[in-house]
Amino acid sequence: MKKFAFFRGCYIPVRLPHIERVARMVLGDLGIDLIDIEGFSCCPEPIGFGLNDKLTWMSIAARNIALAEDEGVDIITLCNGCLYTLKQANVALKENRELRDKVNEVLAATDHQFKGNIEVKHFAQVLSDGIGLGEVRKRVVKPLDGLRVASHTGCHIISPVEVLQFDNPYDPTVLDGMVSALGAAPVDYDLKTLCCGWTLMNYGTRRSSSNLLGAKLAAMWEAGAECVTVICPQCYYQFDTGQMLAARALKLDFRLPVLFYLQLLALALGYRLEDIHFSQHRVGSPVLEERLRGIVS
Amino acid sequence: MKCGTCCVVRGHSCHVMYDEEKFNPRYTYVYDCLGAEEPFQNPNIWLCVSCHKCDEMCPYEVSPVSFIEAMKPNAFENGHAHPIVVGEVENVLSTGYAFPLTLSTTRLREMLSLKPIQTLAIEDIKRIAEQTGLALKLKKNKERES
Repeated sequence: MKKFAFFRGCYIPVRLPHIERVARMVLGDLGIDLIDIEGFSCCPEPIGFGLNDKLTWMSIAARNIALAEDEGVDIITLCNGCLYTLKQANVALKENRELRDKVNEVLAATDHQFKGNIEVKHFAQVLSDGIGLGEVRKRVVKPLDGLRVASHTGCHIISPVEVLQFDNPYDPTVLDGMVSALGAAPVDYDLKTLCCGWTLMNYGTRRSSSNLLGAKLAAMWEAGAECVTVICPQCYYQFDTGQMLAARALKLDFRLPVLFYLQLLALALGYRLEDIHFSQHRVGSPVLEERLRGIVS
Repeated sequence: MKCGTCCVVRGHSCHVMYDEEKFNPRYTYVYDCLGAEEPFQNPNIWLCVSCHKCDEMCPYEVSPVSFIEAMKPNAFENGHAHPIVVGEVENVLSTGYAFPLTLSTTRLREMLSLKPIQTLAIEDIKRIAEQTGLALKLKKNKERES
């Protein structure tokens, strides 16, 4: 078993705890030992908090990293935003001695110090680069039978590319590979790199966020997708709750349910729809539900 | 900034300008910000979602996102932050989480047999905020809001 400090972040434990439940279930099955560190706080969230006070942002991030350093384990996150904060902080503090000294001076009041001896990883990186998709494929007991899945990687696991080093920003394919490993069929669609619109929902207008999401959903639907998969809780929320609002505003005549990648993985590992808490989703589809029940039965 | 590559392909360059008339990297950078005495007061800076698409596309390494992001701490320091930013900073300071802890959170976690949310980081975060002067900046924004 490879040990990781389990960084749940805010959004999953507070708003989407069923994703935490599924993560605890399936990551263990793949040989990942999740260590709970109770003193972890918000990463902090990069756009609302991070950009507005960089020293505090970097210091709170450094405190979180220091807690994992005390346990001697790398951090695993389930969220693009948490990766964006923690990996950028980890890299900057390792590379820039002046910044590290300044942050450690702030942290002295908390009895923690950033040392710079661990790595921060998103679960998608651990699956694709660490465990390896060949190994994931070997663990599949219920191949997803060519289920047509539109993958949405999200923005903040990809850019800035030189720090995050996850995928090609112009043509992301890593998540498609992860979908294929489960026996499903990734769908190629227009507007694949377009943002989900979650941040715009907060800082722009609901209308612009819905129009952006609606265009993306329509492109997925036209390409023949049966569902969407994501690796970020904010993207999940936008494709689920946001889709409900967009469908109402734009009078969409279709619905495309979203599954967090770990939910798809759970089904392929032999878990039931009830185990992935599909009933918690706002956007459902009787057709998809029947299709998924057929696959896992 | 005349080339406009960051704004040229709808849906593939700046994501926000897909359907937000008030914002595009070129317009917000050059006309709204560089021409203003206090550019951080421009409300359109908050529309940038930091997707970095303009940065990736720019053939001249202008990086509009870096400029627009640099306006936000100025706005926060001067009491002009977006109300959602103020609320989020308050949440982190009071609970250690960016999003409000609600009864629904407690119920859902119980239902899923997950441990209750703990708020053990608050004291450390308050100490950090004292060291960095965050609390004073927050106060300024709150005063302006009221």
